[in-house]
Amino acid sequence: VEPNATIREIRLMFHKLYPRWYPARQSIKLDPKGKSLRDEEILQHLPVGTTATLYFKDLGPQIGWTTVFLIEYTGPLFIYFLFYFRMPFVYGLDERFTSSPHPVVNLACICHSFHYIKRLIETIFVHRFSHGTMPLRNIVKNCLYYWGFAAWLAYYINHPLYTPPSYGKKQINFAVIMFLLCEAGNFSIHVALSDLRRDGSKTRKIPYPTKNPFTWLFFFVSCPNYTYEVGTWISFTVMTQCVPVGLFTLLCFIQMTIWAKDKHYTYLREFKDYPSLRMPIIPFLL
Amino acid sequence: RNMAGAGGSRADNGYGSQQQQPRRRKGPGALATAYLVIYNVVMTAGWLVIAVGLVRAYLAKGSYHSLYYSIEKPLKFFQTGALLEGSLLIPKYLPGIVPSSVVLTAFQVMSRVFLTWAVTHSVKEVQTEDCVLLFVVAWTITEIIRYSFYTFSLLNHLPYLIKWARYTLFIVLYPMGVSGELLTIYAALPFVRQSGLYSISLPNKYNFSFDYYTFLILVMISYIPIFPQLYFHMLHQRRKVLSHTEEHKKSE
Repeated sequence: VEPNATIREIRLMFHKLYPRWYPARQSIKLDPKGKSLRDEEILQHLPVGTTATLYFKDLGPQIGWTTVFLIEYTGPLFIYFLFYFRMPFVYGLDERFTSSPHPVVNLACICHSFHYIKRLIETIFVHRFSHGTMPLRNIVKNCLYYWGFAAWLAYYINHPLYTPPSYGKKQINFAVIMFLLCEAGNFSIHVALSDLRRDGSKTRKIPYPTKNPFTWLFFFVSCPNYTYEVGTWISFTVMTQCVPVGLFTLLCFIQMTIWAKDKHYTYLREFKDYPSLRMPIIPFLL
Repeated sequence: RNMAGAGGSRADNGYGSQQQQPRRRKGPGALATAYLVIYNVVMTAGWLVIAVGLVRAYLAKGSYHSLYYSIEKPLKFFQTGALLEGSLLIPKYLPGIVPSSVVLTAFQVMSRVFLTWAVTHSVKEVQTEDCVLLFVVAWTITEIIRYSFYTFSLLNHLPYLIKWARYTLFIVLYPMGVSGELLTIYAALPFVRQSGLYSISLPNKYNFSFDYYTFLILVMISYIPIFPQLYFHMLHQRRKVLSHTEEHKKSE
């Protein structure tokens, strides 16, 4: 192997020797307990002597992030429709293909579908992933979670015995406005983050507020996309006044707080001049 | 946008790019040891009280039926007290002393508390059933041995008998306890169905429904994948711990 070989080239060579382990599946490290080396690293720039010992770990079958998201998000979109249009096997034959007398049920369907269509569009056109793949077994777990919850909450919202919110139109209208604001916010953040990588690089940079007012949340929070996402789901809960939606919102909040804290501490570790006012997900609090 | 950075936490060990937290296996300090010893002594004593209560009630009544009532209060107290153990002590100290899995023990405590309160206490009609005695006896013996095991381990003076008992008696006690638990849940089912216990149905303004009857059936089904795992884990531990002692003895 040439001294100026990149890890990427080494992975390709390894793959030729062992066709089973394609590059995305290889974890190459200098130390068995250490971090996996990135594709761009050059052999002679690493702390090695005239001979280098590299450790290989099989990461298992991998699947591309884009593929994963497309599958994860298309599921809930169509599963919701099964309940909205009241397929015969859902609420029984008597209720098949009937529609709800409550306008909020139609509104909820539009919002839910809008949310997932937006996510699909972002996956295809906006997101730039630093890692190309994730382990295949994750997709089963993730899909069970997203699809399962979508079915559970769709079941109650579209149920013939659904009860509309207690405060009527006021509650629904307020929730819709909050929903749209949060969706716009979330989209703005995704675009802003994507612009950080417009040059195709895969390194991390500190995101800053732009002219777009929705991005001003960056003054206070490291991961405003998660903040807005939680806001979206809270709005949806208020709109539908449905406990399963509330539970889903709570779980999303917990999961996203974990991710936000992770991201936040990674930023703090990597950048000495990281803005000190910022909290991971909720301004001043969390 | 570093989505994978966020998702990296989702796909936990698919990358190997997370920094490893150094595992610190230092034992507890003197004050903590004293506190733990007291806790474990108290729990051992508590379960001994339950054991004695059972024996006395049996001798007084002349039969083993409906012994639950004679030990109902201490059972609830000490079984629920184990939650304290789960939330405070196990994560901080015990992994350093005892090579048992934190998650599995926590799970066990949760399921025991569920059975004590959400089934036996809540469904009065099952309290006279014999299956209740089956799991109460299993739990009592297991806990007496377990807590004395912890006590002696903390004092660095563990008699081989206790260690042997802990890693051997479960072979009988585990299935015994599980049988008692499953039979009790099964016995509770018709009464739950009849009374609609802990269940809520549509329509209601929170648009939520919960059927406790179905939930209990799901709990029973969950024993099928979970119990064998716990059982084989203990068997595996047994081989590890008891053979290690053999080697120790040989080398002396």
